[in-house]
Amino acid sequence: MFAFIVSTLSSAQATARRRQPIGTFGHRPIPACRYLSAVLLIGSALLIQAKPSLSDEGQFPEFTWHGLLDLRYQHSDAAPGQLEQGLGKLREGGARDRWQINEAASTLQVRLDWDWMATATLKYADLQSAPVDLTEAFLAYRPVGSAGWRLAGRLGLFFPPISLENVGTAWSSPYTLSSSTINAWVGEELRAFGGELRLDYQTEAGDRVGLFGAALANNDTAGLMLAWRGWTLHDFESTLNGRLRLPEGIGIPTLFPEQANASQTFVEVDRRPGFYAGIAAERPQRYTLRAMYYDNNADPSGLSAGQYSWHTRFWSVGSKAELPWETTLISQAMIGRTSMGDLNGDLRAVDVGFWSASWLISRPLGEGRFSVRYERFGSDERDYLPQDRNGEHGQAWTVNYNLTFAQRHQLNFEFSSIYSVRPARLERGESAYQEEMLWQVGYRLFF
Amino acid sequence: MASRLSTVFLTAWTVLADAEELRGLAEAGGRPLANLVVALEALDQSGRAKAPPQSAAMLLDQKSREFVPHVLAVRSGTPVFFPNSDAIKHHVYSFSTAKRFEIKLYSGVPPEPVLFDKPGIVALGCNIHDWMLGYIYVSDADYLGVSDNEGRWSVVVPSGRYRLTFWHPYAAAQPAEQVVTVPTGELRVTLELKAQFQTGKPPASLQIQGYGDGF
Repeated sequence: MFAFIVSTLSSAQATARRRQPIGTFGHRPIPACRYLSAVLLIGSALLIQAKPSLSDEGQFPEFTWHGLLDLRYQHSDAAPGQLEQGLGKLREGGARDRWQINEAASTLQVRLDWDWMATATLKYADLQSAPVDLTEAFLAYRPVGSAGWRLAGRLGLFFPPISLENVGTAWSSPYTLSSSTINAWVGEELRAFGGELRLDYQTEAGDRVGLFGAALANNDTAGLMLAWRGWTLHDFESTLNGRLRLPEGIGIPTLFPEQANASQTFVEVDRRPGFYAGIAAERPQRYTLRAMYYDNNADPSGLSAGQYSWHTRFWSVGSKAELPWETTLISQAMIGRTSMGDLNGDLRAVDVGFWSASWLISRPLGEGRFSVRYERFGSDERDYLPQDRNGEHGQAWTVNYNLTFAQRHQLNFEFSSIYSVRPARLERGESAYQEEMLWQVGYRLFF
Repeated sequence: MASRLSTVFLTAWTVLADAEELRGLAEAGGRPLANLVVALEALDQSGRAKAPPQSAAMLLDQKSREFVPHVLAVRSGTPVFFPNSDAIKHHVYSFSTAKRFEIKLYSGVPPEPVLFDKPGIVALGCNIHDWMLGYIYVSDADYLGVSDNEGRWSVVVPSGRYRLTFWHPYAAAQPAEQVVTVPTGELRVTLELKAQFQTGKPPASLQIQGYGDGF
């Protein structure tokens, strides 16, 4: 298993030198990502092959499918969003209505034996850079353990355990359509390519307390969108070959001529692996607590094929509590920093501190579920490029009501309202202060 | 032939003549309460259970993927079978001090029974289906009963005096023990449940069943 982590990391490192510059959207996936996914697939296949005893038992592997189809009507009244290369707080802004197949995803779970399972999620999403692509693909090891101790591990491509809201099929949330600013960013720019271990102690009453940690690669551009575009509210998760458009009109090509016109979300630039580590505690049906520190350990002066490496590190804490009257409270907070560029004195070209906190209250209401989330977010900078303004602050409300029929049909009504100040908007001829709104009706089918 | 028949008749008559049905009703919050364990300890020598414990079975419901019954009460020394008759595999385990074990249940393969020889409460889980939760109440008591979905329980015992203890997995506080002389009228036991507890049933929506990150 360890050898597999090393081979995954080193293969990504080896290809970083040979990567071609990326062009505009619509270009083919870069070789590094293709190579990495091939290594992951072959590695998994080898692991399966290495366990010939499975076939003797006759009933493995066992296949399970899950998935979701998400159809959406949206009405936005907002500044241009990420897809329009603006500084708005939505993925798609403007004052308009749209109907779309927001997402279609399928998860294949292959139980290889009693302790090993392979999971892969393929996703189509509206205006995704590769139409159908992987969001997660990992091999999980989870034996029963003994006397309350359990060791578990994952190897491959997976979400760091930050979100306490995205617990549904294909990382969907049962509470809201749009993820919170923290979880939207996790979906957009964070993914672990590597291995994670977790050690838990479970008491007789079912309470669990544990430690977890991971070594990871291919997350060197994480932080770019937070710095240059800021926090946003959406439910788009980047995929293996993901690329995100950069904001226009704020001088990025002038100040950073080497930067490609899109950010490749999951690449290794500097051949330095990162990590995260944390603690988790759970009392079933009462509360869940998680705290972790993430550091992609990127070299802030790294640059390869149009992609800078951003040294991004943060603390993330989250709690989920079951309160009286069937009310659930989920709180998450994140505070961190991302730095990029060579040192000039004691300053770098971009050095942005970021933070966000959200509180979600949810409870059954009538035949459905009612959820309200409030969040505050912001960032500030301390770097030597005052003309590249990356500070902001804001707050957002999201209200959702959803109805689930026959376990699988879910109808959502949602309203989001975001108030934010970002001085960089002035350079685009927009007001620094924006009030943005999004109305959504979503039908989701789970299978 | 005639003498053999009369022996059978006499034996049956003896058992019936001495046996009394003790019945009760369990309630919580004004509603019938299932899964309340009633344990009877005989205070008279004549009331002691003489037969060795019979084997019991904890079923694994394939359709809803839950333990059936949710609570099984057995006397110490009972072998319990975990039959798995469908296509889904289960990996049943317990970390409880009264019985630590794991058993891999292939579909259609009858497993060996698990012997529960120490009194205590054994919480069962399934390593494949995280929501699954069941309890085996292992007791040195002479007779055991568990309330059904209507909150009713009954135990057939020889007449005499008994100490009754009660246990429910989700009781805020377990009901006080009682001493009763059988025969007696129907017993009513009311208790308060904890505000929040796991039910051992799968999540109501497929959305929650389809994602597992190990956290």
